Amino acid sequence: MDKKSNKNNKISGWKKKFETETKVSNADEFIISTDEDINIKPLYIEDDIKNLKFVEVGSLPGYGPYTRGPKASMYVNRPWTIRQYAGFSTAEESNNFYRKNLEAGQKGLSVAFDLPTHRGYDSDDEMVMGDVGKAGVAIDSVEDMKILFDGIPLDQMSVSMTMNGAVLPILASFIVAGEEQGVSAKNLSGTIQNDILKEFMVRNTYIYPPEPSMRIVADIIEYTSKEMPKFNSISISGYHMQEAGADNVLELAYTLADGIEYVRAALSKGLDIDDFAPRLSFFFAIGTDFFMEIAKLRAARTLWYKIMKDFGAKNEKSLTLRTHCQTSGVSLTEKDPYNNVVRTSYEALSAVLGGTQSLHTNSFDEAIALPTEFSARIARNTQLILQNETGVTNTVDPLAGSYFIENLTDEVAAKAWNIIQEVEELGGMTKAVNAGVPKLKIEESATKKQAKIDSGDRVVVGVNKFQNPKEPKIDVLVIDNEKVREDQIKKINKLKKSRDNEKLEKSLKELTEDAKNGKNLLYSAVKAIKNRATVGEVSKALENVFGRHYATSVGVSGVYGKYFEGNEEFMHVTEKIENFEKSFGRRPRVLVVKMGQDGHDRGAKIVATSFADIGFDIDMGPLFQSPKDVAKDAVENDVHAIGVSTLAAGHKTLVPELMNSLKELDPENKIIVFVGGIIPEQDYDFLYEKNISAIFGPGSNIIESAEKVIDLISKKNNQ
Amino acid sequence: MELVKKVLDNDRASIAKAITLVESSNPKDKEESKKLISSLINHPGHSIRVGFSGPPGVGKSTFIESFGSYLVNKNYKLAILAIDPSSNLTGGSILGDKTRMNEISKSQNTFIRSTPSKGSLGGVSYGTREASIILDAAGYDFIFIETVGVGQSETMAANLVDIFTLIVGPGSGDELQGIKKGITEYADIFIVNKNDGDLKLQASKTASDYKSALSFYSKKDNHAAKEVLLVSSIEQNGMDSVIDTINNIIEFNKSHKIFHERRENQLSYWIKEEIRNQIQTKLDLEVDRDSELINMTKSVIDGEISIYDVSDHFLEKFLK
Repeated sequence: MDKKSNKNNKISGWKKKFETETKVSNADEFIISTDEDINIKPLYIEDDIKNLKFVEVGSLPGYGPYTRGPKASMYVNRPWTIRQYAGFSTAEESNNFYRKNLEAGQKGLSVAFDLPTHRGYDSDDEMVMGDVGKAGVAIDSVEDMKILFDGIPLDQMSVSMTMNGAVLPILASFIVAGEEQGVSAKNLSGTIQNDILKEFMVRNTYIYPPEPSMRIVADIIEYTSKEMPKFNSISISGYHMQEAGADNVLELAYTLADGIEYVRAALSKGLDIDDFAPRLSFFFAIGTDFFMEIAKLRAARTLWYKIMKDFGAKNEKSLTLRTHCQTSGVSLTEKDPYNNVVRTSYEALSAVLGGTQSLHTNSFDEAIALPTEFSARIARNTQLILQNETGVTNTVDPLAGSYFIENLTDEVAAKAWNIIQEVEELGGMTKAVNAGVPKLKIEESATKKQAKIDSGDRVVVGVNKFQNPKEPKIDVLVIDNEKVREDQIKKINKLKKSRDNEKLEKSLKELTEDAKNGKNLLYSAVKAIKNRATVGEVSKALENVFGRHYATSVGVSGVYGKYFEGNEEFMHVTEKIENFEKSFGRRPRVLVVKMGQDGHDRGAKIVATSFADIGFDIDMGPLFQSPKDVAKDAVENDVHAIGVSTLAAGHKTLVPELMNSLKELDPENKIIVFVGGIIPEQDYDFLYEKNISAIFGPGSNIIESAEKVIDLISKKNNQ
Repeated sequence: MELVKKVLDNDRASIAKAITLVESSNPKDKEESKKLISSLINHPGHSIRVGFSGPPGVGKSTFIESFGSYLVNKNYKLAILAIDPSSNLTGGSILGDKTRMNEISKSQNTFIRSTPSKGSLGGVSYGTREASIILDAAGYDFIFIETVGVGQSETMAANLVDIFTLIVGPGSGDELQGIKKGITEYADIFIVNKNDGDLKLQASKTASDYKSALSFYSKKDNHAAKEVLLVSSIEQNGMDSVIDTINNIIEFNKSHKIFHERRENQLSYWIKEEIRNQIQTKLDLEVDRDSELINMTKSVIDGEISIYDVSDHFLEKFLK
């Protein structure tokens, strides 16, 4: 008997044994199809790592295609950087928080800005009343930036800033703050996210339309490559795609396709690829699909190597993909929240086994509110324990050679590569984004995931199975939004009184001129900021030329309903809706809205598409509406209900305002208002007192929610 | 009627409820709706009703946002009825038009209502005509009726408005075929959108294609000339030419009595349609319930009588 048939005999022997143990006729019945449509087999064997398309089994870390890591020594030499993303309320408060964290063992800083700052509005702007200091720190000028880094030496501390829309005034403020601290631009280290394409796809904190936005990205890449050699000009982010519901292959493919687009934008500035490519960095989400996430990171490095080779890069640093990772926010549940500590731990391990360069671990309460000091400590310690107690740092890429991991890495790479080719055929990512293709694909994926959870196909512990009968109460951080806003306004007024207005006007004019004539905008932004222009003023000077971007919204339909064909609960609600239609001559009509500057619209989109599949007529409101706009929209379309999706802590100001506006327009209105998203239980009573009819937290079952809504509507209209 | 008074007072919530009433499929609402419309029709306003149609993807809503805010800035009062085609056949609809009308939806001088087309023929939903009567009585200067262009639909949409506009995109030359036949009959203005950026050249080529196609169309004496206009919605360019053209055509039509003739024709079309609808509803309700139907159908199967005997019998029975 030759070797091969001997092996085949062994495998069929295993198969028989497997089938006897499991009492199924065919072991293939245990093949699981993932969200990515990848088939996971119960067993992987040597044959599974032969003839791989992208992965070279046996390659070494620190060598192309860098599947095993960008560095030869990886964590053996230095563990990943613990980089916790944080920021809230005022610069003073955030600064205080950062300093405490640094003392407690955190290595790098990562700044979260509030939504008005992201969207280029000053805190005193009427548009942003409910958002100041909520989901991040409010920065209105270089004075705030200086306070933010007070006592933190910027020549020693690497600072990551999540900023995409208002990149110019914020990076300029950082540069000027450094300068006034005595640190020149060339000694500043850190990263600015500066990844605008994904904003148009999922996160929605853009300001200008895609084309001028891409120019700003290129300006920043050019500036940093010349003036800030230690600073990463961009963090190409898949994180928000996964948060918005993209599966891992979509996340990987669109992130790399974004990367390709940014490289092209920089090349069009006449830069040499190796001048800027070493400063491109990446950012991925790590969810609960343990091995898939590991494979994704390994595949990402493998594909980027190939892409950069094709661009003609020679510098080793250009060829390696270096990435930051964050555990998944969307995997956290409001129900039984301490489970989130466990979820985050597994996700962190996954990121580390995948070879991340830095990591943020979420706090367990982030499905409900901003982290408290207590929850932030647990999150940080999750990483400290991994680094100090588990031994995971002792061996580079310990899973290499695993039949399963190598095979999965190759399959993820191959699937992502196909999508990248599709994007190329559309003419690159800017064009694909303009055509709305990635957005739709991500929304479809998100809806599928939700349907799998609601139908019980996917188990989420504490949510659709193993529920805790005694839900624990947890303390949450409360931001006094009014006070933050007042403080910020005082600071803005003080700044405006003390600055040289003539100089300021001149530099703002120069900025507007440069926007027209195509000069690099960061130079003139730095000048304006030095002259004490506010973030809002800089943004406005550019808006005068570029305009503001408004997204249109196309929903997917039919995706959710497909999962529930013949499902009794689903049909039960559908029937209720049909009965309503018979009595009232039209379907129940619900306006789904986001208010304020909160652009996270995954939840709103999922509710819209699934409610429509169930039978409601759904009005989709535009993003960034004021409560007044929403009330007008609701009254004109005579809707039965308004569903408010809120994820950025604006509910305490915006929702009561909506109720008042509704009353003003129609004192006898019968409109039911329900709220969904991230709302701490402590606020429930407050909202009920304002006549909110229902509140749906993260992890709410859509069908149950839909039933509650139709019941509420029926009751109100039968009165 | 309290509602009539409030609609005439331009009370936003009442206008909205009135539209709900005329769109309702509930029989009781229908009776109420008849009363409402009969009374409002005696309080005509001065609205000019403009229809906008065109194939998906040419930027209809974006154009309306742009043109609409141009008008609102000139202090016109504007109502928009958007018939949203994105209906789900099995479930409800997702009405996303307003996400493209961000600016005008905020103005106090606008009223914007979306209606799911529910697959109804013509891209016009039941109640659109009645809704425009409500909005006219409520005092709007312009009523825009936005429909998606799918073949036959223009005919019906054109039957609701004083001026009918077709919006097309650059390079939509393929549709020129269709234009020679049906649509030219109904469209008064052709708007070539997206005359901006890289598409500029293509847009002006498309416009001249349309112009030459229209020159083959024999111009009747008593008709305002059909116009082809180039606009950019995103740059808000060409909007003055749109409003000038609308005003010119309306003026021409008024001075040549076409304006009123058109409205009269639409009224008689409406009456006939109403009769058809009522017969239809009556038959649907009563014939189905009639036990005679089953027996007579059996007789048809047995070859005792013909189907025409049955249909004649029922017509006589119910149209008495």
